[in-house]
Amino acid sequence: MGLSEAAETRMEEALALAAGGDASAFARIVREHQAMVFSVAYHFLHDRPVAEDVAQEVFVHLYQNINSIESPAHLKYWLRKVATHRSIDHARGRKLEVGLDEISDCAGASPECDPLLGEKLQRLVASLPEQARMVVILRYQEELEYHEIAEVMEMPINTVKSNLQRALALLRQKLARTMGDVPV
Amino acid sequence: MNPLEQELKNALRRQEPATDFTERVMARIQSAGAGRRTETLGRSRAAGLRDWFRVPAVRWASAAAMCFVLVIGGLAQYRARERRRRQEGEMARAQVMLALRIASAKLNGALREVKQVNQAPHDEAR
Repeated sequence: MGLSEAAETRMEEALALAAGGDASAFARIVREHQAMVFSVAYHFLHDRPVAEDVAQEVFVHLYQNINSIESPAHLKYWLRKVATHRSIDHARGRKLEVGLDEISDCAGASPECDPLLGEKLQRLVASLPEQARMVVILRYQEELEYHEIAEVMEMPINTVKSNLQRALALLRQKLARTMGDVPV
Repeated sequence: MNPLEQELKNALRRQEPATDFTERVMARIQSAGAGRRTETLGRSRAAGLRDWFRVPAVRWASAAAMCFVLVIGGLAQYRARERRRRQEGEMARAQVMLALRIASAKLNGALREVKQVNQAPHDEAR
């Protein structure tokens, strides 16, 4: 999910202009990265309005720290990291609405309980423990390598691996319980 | 990539926020604009502190310092309590000694009087 050379040059210009106080350049930066920031928060919190609020906070924080951003790559890393930690902080301040019990209630697999595998998976991911949930999101949404996830989440690489393995095992187990035999 | 991982990738693909998201971010920035410098300074200081505490070594050092303070505090409190208990014990001992001394003096007085009463009939007989 890297930027093309032209996009990178445009982003460099936007960064320089935004650092000089150009609001439209900053808006361009927001537009370019809003899907990434919002999706990290949304898949973690599983609540659209709250995720938008968290994403907005991240960009306001970026505006206040725009002078410390060195390059488009640094910007992406910075946004991903702040979005990750803000989402975790936010989840700690509120009870997650999708619990494991709620998902277990769907066992028996009535068709209206389970319309789409994607939605089911999103809900299952949202019910994972905090660290495992964020590792899964960074791995499959952002397609980061283990060492990149370790850097963003400030944890040892082995913890990333064990969290991911645990998360996948849990997801397999839950999927098998709610959907019957699926090729996992 | 196994089927589950592929499904996860599909399920967790990026999504766009509401169409007016950028405008709302800019409005939020503008509405906070008046006191921005001060807020920025305050926030960046808080953020700096938060970032500082995210460094594992700092976290461990803080935890160790906290443990040290707790142990020293606990030890000081334990010693103060011991000292107070010792003082109370000494005071109680002094009170017991005083009571014993008073009782002994009273007994001696009574004994003297009994002796005098016993000696009086012998003197009269002589």
